Amino acid sequence: MRNPAEPESFRLVIPSQTRYLNLVTGMAKRASIVAGMDDATSAKISIAVDEAVTNVIVHAYSGEADHLVEIDLRFLPQALEVHIHHTGRPIRDNEVVLPDPREYIKHPRKGGLGLLLMSRFMDEIRYIETGEGSECLMIKRVV
Amino acid sequence: MADLTIQVHEVNGVAVLRPEGFINAHTVRQFEGAMEAQIHAGRFTLLLDCRLLNYISSAGLGAIMGLIETVRENGGDIMLCSLQKNVREIFDTLGFTELYRVFPTEEEALRSLNGTI
Repeated sequence: MRNPAEPESFRLVIPSQTRYLNLVTGMAKRASIVAGMDDATSAKISIAVDEAVTNVIVHAYSGEADHLVEIDLRFLPQALEVHIHHTGRPIRDNEVVLPDPREYIKHPRKGGLGLLLMSRFMDEIRYIETGEGSECLMIKRVV
Repeated sequence: MADLTIQVHEVNGVAVLRPEGFINAHTVRQFEGAMEAQIHAGRFTLLLDCRLLNYISSAGLGAIMGLIETVRENGGDIMLCSLQKNVREIFDTLGFTELYRVFPTEEEALRSLNGTI
């Protein structure tokens, strides 16, 4: 039985493979609507989740396909929390450097845009080490 | 249904690519390959007709970024048209609409090139 003191939540665990991304983003979008977000905000959340899960698969797990990524969505009264848990190489807050879009436009190159999209589309992002692995926590508040 | 399909046709030397579905880290190689095939065939002006594109992540944006210098060095360009609202928002958020020419329709994009190809 669910502990009523804890937020309602559900969890999806996928192999660390990009072919599951569409499944994850579809779920994130639907969950955002359930949480009370409008369509435009739900689309942004799904992009942020895509970017965060891609980072785990590509960077934390270096593209290795035999690991797990756990996506835990928690429905708070005024926010949706997305916890993305993995046991790969941790990302620390102080390692995250957001590119300057104006510099990007002057000097086009590949890479680095995912973190920027995450930061623009979510209200809060934290990188946490849990003892059992690492977690990217993203929060979007219901306006 | 596949995550991504890409139709390609040519109009007066312009390669018009019409991606349908989702461009993300899983499908980006297919998207990149479709653009590269046009460049290798000597078509350096690409028009991405995004009317059926539901979604593009940073992987797809990076693929476009990775080819923009090549096409411009060869006298071409990468243009976009018919962006859906959420796709437009991604481009706007990153300031990409300053880097690429964006048109409401394919016809307007092609008309803008009259006499320049």
